Amino acid sequence: MIFNFEYISAIISSTLRMVSPILLCSLAAALCSKAGVFNIAMEGCMMISAFFAIVVNFYSGGNIMLSVLAAIASSMAVSAILAFFIIKLKASPVVVGMSINTASSAVTTFFMYIFFKTKGLFQHPDLVGLTKITPFFADAFPDLAQMFFGLTFIDYLSWVLVVVIYIFLYKTVLGYRIRAIGINQEAAKSLGTPVETYQFVTMTMSGILCGLAGVLLSMGSVTLFIQNIASGKGYIAMTANNLGKSHPVGVFFASLFFGISQAVGSFLQQTQLKGQITASIPYVATILASIFESIRYRRLREKKIKESMKLGN
Amino acid sequence: MEKILEMKNIVKTYGRVVANDNVSIDLKKGEILAIVGENGAGKSTLMKILYGLEKADSGEIFLHGQPVKITSPSVAMGLHIGMVQQHFMLFGPMTVTENIVYNNEITKYAFFDKKKNEEKVAELSEKYGLKVDPTAIVDNCPVGTQQRIEILKTLYQNADIIIFDEPSAVLTPNEVDDLLDTMKTLAAAGKSLIIITHKLNEVMYVADRVVVLRAGKLIDIVDKKDTSIEQLSYMMIGRQVANLEIVEHDSDKTLLKVENLTLGSELGKKILDDVNLYVNAGEIVGIAGVSGNGQTELIRCISGLERNYQGKITVNDHDVSNFDVASIRKAGLSHIPEDRYLWGSAREASISDNVLMGEEDSERFSKNGILKQKEIDKYADELIESYAIKVDNNKQRIRELSGGNAQKVICAREVERDCPFTIACEPTRGIDIGAMEFVHERLVAKRDKFGGILLVTSELSEIMKLCDRIYVIYNGSINYEFKNEDIDDHKLGVLMLGGKVDENKAVN
Repeated sequence: MIFNFEYISAIISSTLRMVSPILLCSLAAALCSKAGVFNIAMEGCMMISAFFAIVVNFYSGGNIMLSVLAAIASSMAVSAILAFFIIKLKASPVVVGMSINTASSAVTTFFMYIFFKTKGLFQHPDLVGLTKITPFFADAFPDLAQMFFGLTFIDYLSWVLVVVIYIFLYKTVLGYRIRAIGINQEAAKSLGTPVETYQFVTMTMSGILCGLAGVLLSMGSVTLFIQNIASGKGYIAMTANNLGKSHPVGVFFASLFFGISQAVGSFLQQTQLKGQITASIPYVATILASIFESIRYRRLREKKIKESMKLGN
Repeated sequence: MEKILEMKNIVKTYGRVVANDNVSIDLKKGEILAIVGENGAGKSTLMKILYGLEKADSGEIFLHGQPVKITSPSVAMGLHIGMVQQHFMLFGPMTVTENIVYNNEITKYAFFDKKKNEEKVAELSEKYGLKVDPTAIVDNCPVGTQQRIEILKTLYQNADIIIFDEPSAVLTPNEVDDLLDTMKTLAAAGKSLIIITHKLNEVMYVADRVVVLRAGKLIDIVDKKDTSIEQLSYMMIGRQVANLEIVEHDSDKTLLKVENLTLGSELGKKILDDVNLYVNAGEIVGIAGVSGNGQTELIRCISGLERNYQGKITVNDHDVSNFDVASIRKAGLSHIPEDRYLWGSAREASISDNVLMGEEDSERFSKNGILKQKEIDKYADELIESYAIKVDNNKQRIRELSGGNAQKVICAREVERDCPFTIACEPTRGIDIGAMEFVHERLVAKRDKFGGILLVTSELSEIMKLCDRIYVIYNGSINYEFKNEDIDDHKLGVLMLGGKVDENKAVN
């Protein structure tokens, strides 16, 4: 019997853990696109930060605070390089983003060998993972609480950030200026805003989000570093940003959808289904969601056009 | 009156072209100074230098007698100089208030104080009689309002000197009247205004003094009361402008027939509402209207770029309703598009390649999928010669040509194409008078060979000069049809704004 309560609660718990990295990265992408910059390098930023989290974790004797800071710093550095190329040198964001993603995979593999003399996978008993937080209602509702076991402070933080980023973008002056830049850079420039500086800072700051996502990958549910640890989550986040129309709340629901498909994918591995099929579920879901979204948009447009021709106005 | 601004001996060159050749002007407090000249005379360059968008090669600027260096628009704004650009610089999806207060917001902690900002905008709008709704979304505002938002932006930044770049180009005659009155109000309130324009009747109405530029040189600065339109236009052009002779034609062959054309939009509004019109052979028919009243969509339907419409379109006796672009072109339509770079040409491709576009399948230019390059180059050279396009050779890229020459390439391709009917959209936008006359001549020549032309343009003078009949479009419907003899520009202006004309032809 597959569909018992334990099973469903396990899927939910797994979904919640899968959502966070995608959510953080798609929030990063959303911030950048609101500021009028196209960021596809979340994949690379995540990999680099996941790697440096482990390196510092190992050499500091398991200091979680230092590991998280190292992850954030490295991801911000990569984002700053990206921003420098795209904003200052006007390079193509797709070309630079792809290069960073590919390079990150190579660089982490290379340094893994330098630091740890190992290829492919690094695991060590001295590594300390993020502390799992026991929900405050664990005693009252043990069944419900089960779904929330295994979540770390970064997972909870990612939900809070949805609200924080929404307020930042739509209520603060700084957020309003950034949105205006995304709408019409030239107009913002003509009013004396240092557009490039705003974009540079926004993009670099978005690195913090990818950095947190990276920590979750290497110190969240498991504590290790493995080659290509991001495994396409950065690209899924890109799609989530697209589906969520770069709005923090929209992005949250899109990420939730992809989180569910990842969780379902990994759970179906325990059934008789072929591994290749279950592993492809999250990616197939991404493609289907994109297609569905574009069809829905076109239908909606055509419907509105047809209706308006019937109406009297 | 006190001189508040002086620009002395300004020189600016772009490569070999001298845009400003030792130009000196001055501006007094509370006056309206007009700068007139043909396209390319250097008016905009001079003002861009004043607003910090361009850097002069040499020359000085004095504000209240003090020398100043204006290196960027923010410096200009700090010196209380504002500019209303020809192409509006607005944040479309945001509100009027958000557009005006940008970069100088009233804040509560780090938050945007919506209420206070809106009050401030309402107050400013009241003070100068510039009516806007502070909470409206800019994209939903008509063009005249958008321009008022631009003016309010400069006032919000406490500008004492306001530069207007071709402000009436986008407006209807009645909106222009409002604008000119606003300018007078602002001048009376102590602001000093500079207006760049080539419309001399506006100059005569609003300006105190007139600066005339020609080919980058200062020709003269004259008091309005001592000059006339004739004198100014002679100074601008350096010769008299010839009037085109229009020969009357009659023909029964209908080249374009649009019946009951209706098109909806995503916003649930009808963009085109039961449009009926026709163009006969040997006719130039104009569509007059304020931009955004459905002209663009009408052309997109006829040319096949938009196919989600209802109604019937016949081109050259072929029913082409809901056909694709290639089939409609084959049926006998050519099209000079609204935007010469976006739709009309490939900027990075050569003149030869651009001339070929749309004809690459014809037997003349290809065989079994292989291009006949010699034939293509020969044809390109023919067009370059007959249209007097100033280029080095046919391999030059479109982006290396001036706007006028690029437009001539597109006109040559579309007008000389072997087909009876041509749509010409804004065929002379932003090109100089010489090239404009040339394009007009070609359109008339096509008409004289019993071709048909549908002319869509925001230049009323162009419509008045060339058209045999005029349809007025307002809010997606044809509002009125003028025959050549009863065209009247005041009536046209009223109709363009949705006014009605009754049986006795009196204007309501």
